[in-house]
Amino acid sequence: MFKYIVKKLLMMIPMLFLISIIVYFSLNLTGIDPINFMVSPEVLSANQDNVEALRESLGLNDPLIVQYFRWLGNCLQGDLGYSFDGTPISSLIADRLPYTFELAGYSLILSAVIGIGIGIISAIRQNGIIDYIGRVLAVLGQAVPQFLVGIILIQIFSIKLGWFPSGNRISPDATSPLADAFFHLFLPVLTLTIGMVAVLMRYARNTMLDVLNSDYIKTARSKGIPEWKVYLKHGFRNAMKPVLVILVFRIPMLVGGSVVIETVFSYPGIGLTMTNAITSMDYPVVLITTLIIAAAMLICSFMVDVLNALLDPRVRLGE
Amino acid sequence: MKKISKLAALLLAMVLLVTSFAGCGGGSKDTKDTQAANESGSSAPAASDAASDGSLKLAITTGDGSSTDDKIPTPWYNRQMATNLMFRSLLIADSSLEKTEPDLAEVAVSEDGMTYTVTMKDGLKWSDGEDLTTDDVIFSIETALKTATINSIYTAAFSNIKEMKADGNVLTISMTTPYASMMSVLSQFAILPKHCLESADPLSLDSDPFWQSPVCSGMFCLDELKKGNYFTLKLNEYYEGTAPKITKVTVYFVTDFITAAQAGNVDYVYGNDAGLVEELGKMENFTSNEVDVLFYKYLIFNMKGADGNENEAMQSLEVRKALVEAIDRATLAGLYPNATVLNSGVPDDHEAYNGFSYTFDAEKAKADIAASGYDMSRTLKICYYNNDQTSIDLINMIVYYLEQAGLKVEATLSNDGTTDLFTTRDYDIGFKGKSSFSIDEWYTEYMSTDALFKNIFGGDTTFDETIARLSAATETAERDEVLKELQGMEQEYLYKVPLFTVGTYVFTSSNVKVPDGVTFCNPLYSCDLDFANWELAN
Repeated sequence: MFKYIVKKLLMMIPMLFLISIIVYFSLNLTGIDPINFMVSPEVLSANQDNVEALRESLGLNDPLIVQYFRWLGNCLQGDLGYSFDGTPISSLIADRLPYTFELAGYSLILSAVIGIGIGIISAIRQNGIIDYIGRVLAVLGQAVPQFLVGIILIQIFSIKLGWFPSGNRISPDATSPLADAFFHLFLPVLTLTIGMVAVLMRYARNTMLDVLNSDYIKTARSKGIPEWKVYLKHGFRNAMKPVLVILVFRIPMLVGGSVVIETVFSYPGIGLTMTNAITSMDYPVVLITTLIIAAAMLICSFMVDVLNALLDPRVRLGE
Repeated sequence: MKKISKLAALLLAMVLLVTSFAGCGGGSKDTKDTQAANESGSSAPAASDAASDGSLKLAITTGDGSSTDDKIPTPWYNRQMATNLMFRSLLIADSSLEKTEPDLAEVAVSEDGMTYTVTMKDGLKWSDGEDLTTDDVIFSIETALKTATINSIYTAAFSNIKEMKADGNVLTISMTTPYASMMSVLSQFAILPKHCLESADPLSLDSDPFWQSPVCSGMFCLDELKKGNYFTLKLNEYYEGTAPKITKVTVYFVTDFITAAQAGNVDYVYGNDAGLVEELGKMENFTSNEVDVLFYKYLIFNMKGADGNENEAMQSLEVRKALVEAIDRATLAGLYPNATVLNSGVPDDHEAYNGFSYTFDAEKAKADIAASGYDMSRTLKICYYNNDQTSIDLINMIVYYLEQAGLKVEATLSNDGTTDLFTTRDYDIGFKGKSSFSIDEWYTEYMSTDALFKNIFGGDTTFDETIARLSAATETAERDEVLKELQGMEQEYLYKVPLFTVGTYVFTSSNVKVPDGVTFCNPLYSCDLDFANWELAN
C-alpha cells in the first residue's frame, strides 16, 4: 500500500508540471504586456530608457522558456511573484484561500449529510413520498445552474426578506464572529450544497438499492435480523464505499464552483480573486489560482485512488 | 471489519481536515487602528446590514477591474466619494469643476499665467498628527510625474511646471507655459503625506502598503480595513474644518452596485450603465440626480503607428466619411439613458460649437464606399473593450449598419480598446469611452506627443500648435475661438468620430439627507458637496 501511495504521489509531479506549462504558455499567448500595467502611458512615453531598464530587470526580454523556468524555480522556493498591482501573490492566497476552504468545507459536510441521508431514505422507502420528492429535487438541483440558484436565493432571502446579507464575509461591528459567519455563509453554502446534494442523493439512492437487492441482505433478513440493523449495518456500510469515492471526487468541483458562487456573493475567496484577476487581466494571479484549482483536482484524484485501493485490494494488485 | 475501521478513520480524518479549514476562515492581515473597537460595537450581525447602523454606506466595485478589494484605492486615478472624504486638495471645485475655492491653501495666479503662489492654511495636520506643509505639496507633484497609475490630467498639467520653491508656508510654482486648467487640476489633485511615502517606489505608489493604513488629510481617516469585505472611516481628529454630522462611513467591496443597492448596503451609487440606471430608478428609496458630465462614447480609426506602419484601408478620408455616414448615431444614443449625440468634442449646446453635424444616409454611404475604391471583400475589424450588455448591443448595431452598407464586418471584444489597436495592428476601428475632466482632455488625444494616440494617429503634428493655444487660453472668447478651430480640424481629418455623451446619474438612498442646494458633479472627480451637513435619516 505504501508503495502504491508513493507511486501515485510521484505521478502528480509531472502532471502539475505539464499543467503549469500549458497554463503559463497559454496566458503568455494572450499578448498582455505587464509593463503596460506597471507604467502609465505618460511614463512610457517620457522615460523609454527607464522602462527598458525595468523590462530588463524583470527579465521580460528573456526567451519565454527562460522566463518559465525562472518563474517555476521561484514558485518552488515559495515565491509566487506579484500581482500587477504589486501585491505578493503568496499573501493574496494566504488571505483568500481560508475563505474558500471554509465555504467548500461547510458545503461538503452539509451536502454529505443531506444528500446521503435523503438518498438512503429514498432507497429504503422506494416509490414513497420522500423518494419522489428527492428524485424531483435531484433533477432540479442538477439542471439549474448554480449561479442562478445563488441569484434567486439573494433575491428572496436577502433583498425581499432581508434575512441574510447579499455578500461579503464579515460585517463591521459584529460582536459574535460565529453569528456573523453563519449569516454570511448561509446563502453561498446553501447554493453550493444544493448542486452537490442532488448528485449525492441520486448516487446514494441507486447504490443503496443495489445493495438492498443483494443476496447477503436477503440472507440477513432470513436470519431474522431486525430491519434497522439490516439497513444500517449491512446495507448502509456497504453502500457507502462507492458514495465516499464520489464525495471525495466532488471536492475539486466545490473549489471550482466557488469561482462562480464567490463572484455572485462578493465572497472574498480564491474564486472571486480569480474572477477579478481575469477581469483586470492580472495574469500572474490567474496563473497561480488556476494552478491551485488544478492541484486541488489532482490531490482529490489521488485521494480517490487511495480510497479505492483501501476499499478494494484488487486495485492495488492491478497496479 | 478492519476495512470498515480504516474507512471510518479516513472519513473522520476528512471531516477533521475540512473542519480545520473552516476554522481558518478569515483574513489574517487586516488592519484596525483601534484594537478596542475590534472587539466592541453593536450586536448587529450580518443580516441587519440592510438596516441603518449609524453609518453612511458606500460601495466600491471590484467587478470591473478598476479597484482591488485589499486596499484603499489611490485618489490619483479616479476620485470617488470614499477617498474624497479622506484626502484633500489645495483647492475645492464647485459642481462644474471649473470654479474653485481654497481648501488646503489659497492659490493666486499671476496675470501672465506663469506663476502660481500657493499659501498653505495655518495649523494643517495629517491624521497622525504630523504637520501638512509645502514639502508635502512638492513631494506629491514631483511623485505624480513619476508614478504609473495616475489620471493623465495631472501629468498633462504638471509637466508644464518649471520649478517649485517653498518659503515657509508659501510655495511658488513657475510654469514653462501657461496652463488654463491648472486651478481646476489643483482642485482635484490629492496631496499625499511625504513622511509616509518618501521611501516608496514612485512607479508603483498605488500598491504601496501605505494604502492599507493610509494617513489622511480629510474629515475622515481609516478606522478598519477588512480585505475583501469592507473598510470603515472614522472622524479625523486633526481635521481643522467643520466636523461632519455623519461620524462613521462604511465602504463595502462589492461585485455589482445593483445588488448592493437592492440589499440596502449602499446609500450612494453612481453610474451611466442603462441597467443600473433603470434598476435604481425603479427603487422608491433612491433619489436620482442627473449629473452633467462629459462622458464621451466614440470611434477611432486606426491610422498609422509612430513607427510609420500605416493601416492602408483607413487612409482614405472618403472611406472614413462614408463609414460615419453609414451609422445612425441617434439610434445608437437611444441605447443609453440621457445620451446626447455629438458632432465634435464640443457638445452641440456649448457656445463654442461650430454648427457642423454628421448626417446618417445609408444609401449615400453605400454608394460613397463603393466609389472610394475600398476593397469590399476585406473584413472591416472593430475592437471594443466594454463587456456590458449595452455596449455589446451598440457594437452589434454598428456592425448591422456597416453590413447594410455592403461591408464585411467583424467585431472583437479585446483587452483594451486603445492599446490593442497598435499592439496587435489588426483592427480598423476602436470603440472607446472617456470620462473627461474637460473638453481640453478630448483634444489632447490628438497631440503628436500623446503616448497612446501617437501610435494610432501616426504622431501627426497638425493639431499640436492649436491644442497648445487651447491649453494656454485663459479668456473665454479666446478659448471658444480655438475650440471652433479645433472642431473644424477634427471634422476635416476624421481620426475620431464622437458618437454621443452619456448622462451619468448619482443615486442617494432615503437613509441619507443631502442638504438643499447640493449639486452633484462628475462622480469620478471631487467637488464641494457640503458633506459636513449630510445627515443620516435614522
